[in-house]
Order: sequence, then C-alpha cells, then structure tokens
Amino acid sequence: MWIVRINMTDRSVKFEDVPEKYKYLAGRGLTSHIIYDEVPPLAHPLGPSNKLVFATGIVTGTSAPTSARVSAGGKSPLTGGIKESNAGSPWAHDLAVMRIKALILEGLPEDKKTFWGIHLSWDADAGKPRVEFFDATEYTGKDLYEVSPKLFERFGDRISFAGCGVSGEYGYGNAGIVYNDLAKRPSRYSGRGGLGSVMGSKRVKFIVIDAKGAPGVEIVDKALFDEGRKKMIDAIRSHDITKPKGGLNSFGTAVLINILNEAGGLPTRNFSSGRFEGAAKIAGEALFETNKQRLGKELYNHACSPGCIIQCSNTLYDENGKEITSCVEYESDWALGANCGIDDLDAIGEMVQLCNAYGLDTIETGCTIAVAMEAGVIPFGDAKGAIQLIHEMGKGTHMGRILGAGTETAGKVLGVTRVPTVKGQSMPAYEPRAVKGIGVTYATTTMGADHTAGYTIAPEILSVGGKADPLSNEGKAALSRAFQATTAFIDSSGHCLFIAFPILDIASGYQGMIDECNGVLGTKWTADDVLRIGGEILKVERAFNEAAGFTKAHDRVPEFMKREPLPPHNQVFDIPDEVLDAVYAEL
Amino acid sequence: MTIRIDVWLYGELAKYGGEQAKAGFANLQINLPEGATVADLLTQMKMPTEERGITFINGLLSAMPGVQPDLAHVLHDGDRVAFFHLRSMWPFQYRHGASMIGELAQELTSREDKGIHHDYRHERSG
Ligand code: SF4
Repeated sequence: MWIVRINMTDRSVKFEDVPEKYKYLAGRGLTSHIIYDEVPPLAHPLGPSNKLVFATGIVTGTSAPTSARVSAGGKSPLTGGIKESNAGSPWAHDLAVMRIKALILEGLPEDKKTFWGIHLSWDADAGKPRVEFFDATEYTGKDLYEVSPKLFERFGDRISFAGCGVSGEYGYGNAGIVYNDLAKRPSRYSGRGGLGSVMGSKRVKFIVIDAKGAPGVEIVDKALFDEGRKKMIDAIRSHDITKPKGGLNSFGTAVLINILNEAGGLPTRNFSSGRFEGAAKIAGEALFETNKQRLGKELYNHACSPGCIIQCSNTLYDENGKEITSCVEYESDWALGANCGIDDLDAIGEMVQLCNAYGLDTIETGCTIAVAMEAGVIPFGDAKGAIQLIHEMGKGTHMGRILGAGTETAGKVLGVTRVPTVKGQSMPAYEPRAVKGIGVTYATTTMGADHTAGYTIAPEILSVGGKADPLSNEGKAALSRAFQATTAFIDSSGHCLFIAFPILDIASGYQGMIDECNGVLGTKWTADDVLRIGGEILKVERAFNEAAGFTKAHDRVPEFMKREPLPPHNQVFDIPDEVLDAVYAEL
Repeated sequence: MTIRIDVWLYGELAKYGGEQAKAGFANLQINLPEGATVADLLTQMKMPTEERGITFINGLLSAMPGVQPDLAHVLHDGDRVAFFHLRSMWPFQYRHGASMIGELAQELTSREDKGIHHDYRHERSG
C-alpha cells in the first residue's frame, strides 16, 4: 500500500511506503492524523500549507457490506478547525482496490486560471498506480450534471470521480466535494466544512479513477473476515430499519422528518420553532407515496455505492415520471424545507438538484437561506425565492458569494442574531433544545455542529461513564464522549454510519464489524479497543483545534438557544457549561 | 362529556384514517368519552397496538417498538397523539435527552440497557 502525494505547486507525484505509525489507521483516523502531523494549525485553509487528504476505510474495497466509504480531511475553511467529511461512492471502492491508503493533495499552483484533472489508473507493468494530469479548465464554471457525463465519455464508463463544483472554484465555505453515485450522478458528497474549496484552491477540478486491473485489498485473515462479514450482513438484513423494504430502503433517511416533528425537535423557520405544520407533506413517507402515485408502483431505494445492502438513497419523480433528483436526504429535506418554511416536496427536490449541480452542501445552504429569510431578503416559505438564491450562489453574484460563505458569515453580514452555528458550522436537523443529548455533541465535537459526530453502536457503551444515568447531565457528558469515540471508529472502519442502527440492537453485528477489521488488518482488537482507537482520533483532532485557537468557549451552543424557549415544549438549552467541558476533560 | 383528540397516523398506518388518508399520513379528530386512554383510542380506530411503533402524546415520547407503557395513559381534550409504523425510526443518538411521558421514562430507566435500543420486541440485545 502507498501514500500518494500530489504536489500541485509543480504537479509532482510521490509514492511513499506507509509508515509504521499509520499502519493500522484508515478513513477518518488516517486523515485526521495526517492533518495533525503535516498541516500547520494556523495555515490558511485555502492557502498553500493546507492539505486535502482522502483515505478509505479499513474494509473499503472488500466484500464487507455497506462499506464503500471515503473520508476527506483538511483544515476547514468554514470552521477554521480540523475537518473530516465522509461519503459513499464507487470512487471510494476504486481508491481502495488501487491499494492507495491515502491520497494527499498539497501545495497550490501559481497559475490560478488553469484547473487540473488527475487521472489514476493501474499500471500492471510497474505493479502500482499511474498518475496523470489533464487540463480540466474546460469543465469549470459549469453545472456538474452537464460536466460529469463528459468525464465518462472521455475516460470510459467504468471510471469514478471526486471533484468540486463552481462553489469550490469560488472558494465558498459551503462547498462540498462531489463524487458520482452508481448511476453516474454527481450526487454523493463530503458535504460539510467547505472541503470542496480546499480542492478548488489547489486548482484540482476532478480526480478520476479507472481501477481496471487493480489488485484489490489485501486481507490478512480471510476466515475471520468472512465470519465478521456474515454477522454484519445478518444484522443488517434482519433489522427493521435496515432490512430490504425496511425503513431506510423504503423512505430513506427522510423517514426522520415526521418523528422529529412530533417530538417538537424539527428546527423550523430558522430554529424559531420545533414543529413545522407542513412536515408530513415533505417527509419520507410522503415522498414514497408521491412516487407511488406518479409512477403507478412502489419504488424502493437504491445504493449510493457498490456493496451497500441497506440501500437508503431515494429518488423523487415528477408528475410525468421524470426524475427530479436523487437523493432527498433527511438533512437536505429539512434544511431546504422545514427550516425555510417550505412544504413543497417538488421545490425541495429541485433545490437539492441545484445544490448538487453547483457543488453546495445542502445543510449549510439551507441554514444560510433561512438566515437570509430571517433578515427579510425573501420571506419564509418562498420556494421560488430560495431557488433563486441558490442560483445566485451558483452564478457567483454578490449576494451569492455572501450566502456561499456559510450561515455564520451571512448572519453577520445581514445583521441576524439567531444564527444556529457551532464553531462556524451550521446545525443539522435536530433541535438541541428538544433533544438535549445531541446538543452536547453539537457543542463539543471537533467538527463544528455535526449530527454524524455522535453515533453509538453498542449498549456496553452505557457503562463507560461508570454508573451514570444516561438521562442525567453527567451521563450525557459520558455518553457523548463515548458516542463521539465510537463514531470516529466507524468513520475509520469504512462502514457507512447507518450500520450503527442495526448493530446497536443486534450485538453480534457489532462483533462482526470488529472481526472484519481484525480480518483485514491481522489485529486482535476487542470492543474496548474500539473506544480507545476512537478516543485517540478525537484527541488528535482536539489537539489540532486547540493549536488553531479553539478553547472551551467554542464548545458552546449559540446564546439564543439558552434564552429563547422553543415551541412546542418551550424549553431552552439548559445543560450547564461544566457538563460540556466534562466531555473532553476525561478523554 | 366527550374529549377530542388530534390524531396523526404515519406511513402505512394512514390506512386507519380512512378517507382522511393523504400521501403518507392521515390527520383526524376523534371523539372519546372523558377518561379514555390510549388503549381506548386504539380500539376506536380498530388499530391493533402491535402495528404501532414510536408513539407521541403532545410531543412526549410514549412508546417504542415493543415497549408500550402508555396503554393506560389517560387522554385529555385537545391532546395530540401520533402513531408511527414499525419501519419508522428514531436512533438513540438522536433521541437521548428528548422528553417522554412519565410512564415511559420510568420503564426505560428501570431497564438494564437504560432504553438505548430501538426495538424491544424480541429482547434480542444480547
Ligand atoms: S446506507 Fe445509504 S448512505 Fe449508507 S452506504 Fe448505503 S446507500 Fe449509501
């Protein structure tokens, strides 16, 4: 395996052997360690010292189910801290089978006008990957749905790609890294934290992989791996949420809309209420029924990436049976829907499609539009106006650039005080005043407000904080710490986080994940090691952030959440600061 | 005296809403005698309790798949009750710290697993 370093200052390429200390790291564990080791914490995120690191998970590229995931890492232009953003795509699989443990983009060219494409293929004679450059300037300034088919025309049907949209070319804080899905759509994202702009700053437009002839992933103990794989498959296939025609396969993650709405925790109209009267019209269940009416048959969801047996990615069709977009995730549906007061599913679908076309993170984009609505730029509920604002971001107008900078910057420019961000990143779709546990995670994660930072996978985690009652404040701190650590591990394993749902209920699935990793690496990890390894990743991320200037004061939810009671429960976020500080004090 | 309950049915449970069923949900007003419970409401709607999973009463979680301590919960005029189908979900990490009715809070805290699971029907946590 190699670490492949591409220096964009002079387009030089280096193949390095994997150093001993990185041997058992992968995914987020590896991206965060490399960033910590190599990027000066005070580097400008869009300057020459920042790096963009891609690393696939431990089991990515193998036959482990639901594991074609890649971590992208760097210093975030949005938060100014460390960032890892995870996505599922054929590209993840292709990078892994080329035996590239990490791909590092560094430096940046003097000539800012030329954008480059990087083409990776397998050189059978040399027995290693081949790296070539092509001029990609012709693909800039355009809609990704227009440009990406040209990549397949030029390089063949079997390729996969990672890239940035116009948002990354402009240097927006809400620019994601885009990857293709299995149907060649430019629709899978390492969305959060503006990493698309780090790519754009290095003048890299696309990284294309043709994995033909690549040797595949080495597995040290095949029998153990197979045993783990079987346990994982059984857990996924038998759980109501993840089994075929189960919750995720039928409704997608948007199945959460109605639940959070009933719980009074669905942030509505820029976090001014926890309940949206139009929620049932935009929820996953409504999407499923709408497709059924329009297509005349039930439509179940598809996989975003090879080997996924959960298959949660939905598609929305219009009245003529033509695809509006894929996919409408819970977070996108909420950000562009409830949070903007918009209850029109088709309009939400169109907005998701536009975000994909311009390379925008849907969460940051929706939260920013809601702040603009609060400022009176357009009224809440104005779907046409919201669509127009996304076009402005895509076209780089003055207003578009302000909004593209992200929710916090837009709030400052527009004079809004209700700005739902932590460490400069906007909050996802769970109201901390109604679901307090997640507020602890939002406040303390190294990533800025992030819903994927705190997944739990095993009930044993409950004993981590001693005998602390998880409903007590002390219990919440201990749990949040354990959740964040286990999440860091899953993000390194290569599995999609959604495996956390079945394996929390089915303990053998949890063991299956550990067996798979031990099988690939030849390690002897146990459940305790999962927490230890995850904890070490968090420590490194935390250390980077501290050196970048983050203190306890950054581990807080915005002030308005402590002051303004949220309807319908009329609660404020009342978790004491000491509890938030306790999350990392004991790491 | 009768009381009026604002009932929300999601996913396939919308079929118990009859003509009120819309795409993926139904919202109906149901009249019940004073002192009626969740069990009475289910009987009136002819909905078997096993068909429901996550349940809310006025935004407070009252039941999870396989844990239904709310059957004897007395309803009041104007209450909003929401029933979810069994394919719906609310993972623990997005749920901990959310408000529950007293009966459910008690039931979950008295369990050894502290209510961390999604599904309690088979006691398969191991
Ligand atoms: S569960 Fe969904 S997001 Fe995860 S890998 Fe499968 S299709 Fe992609």
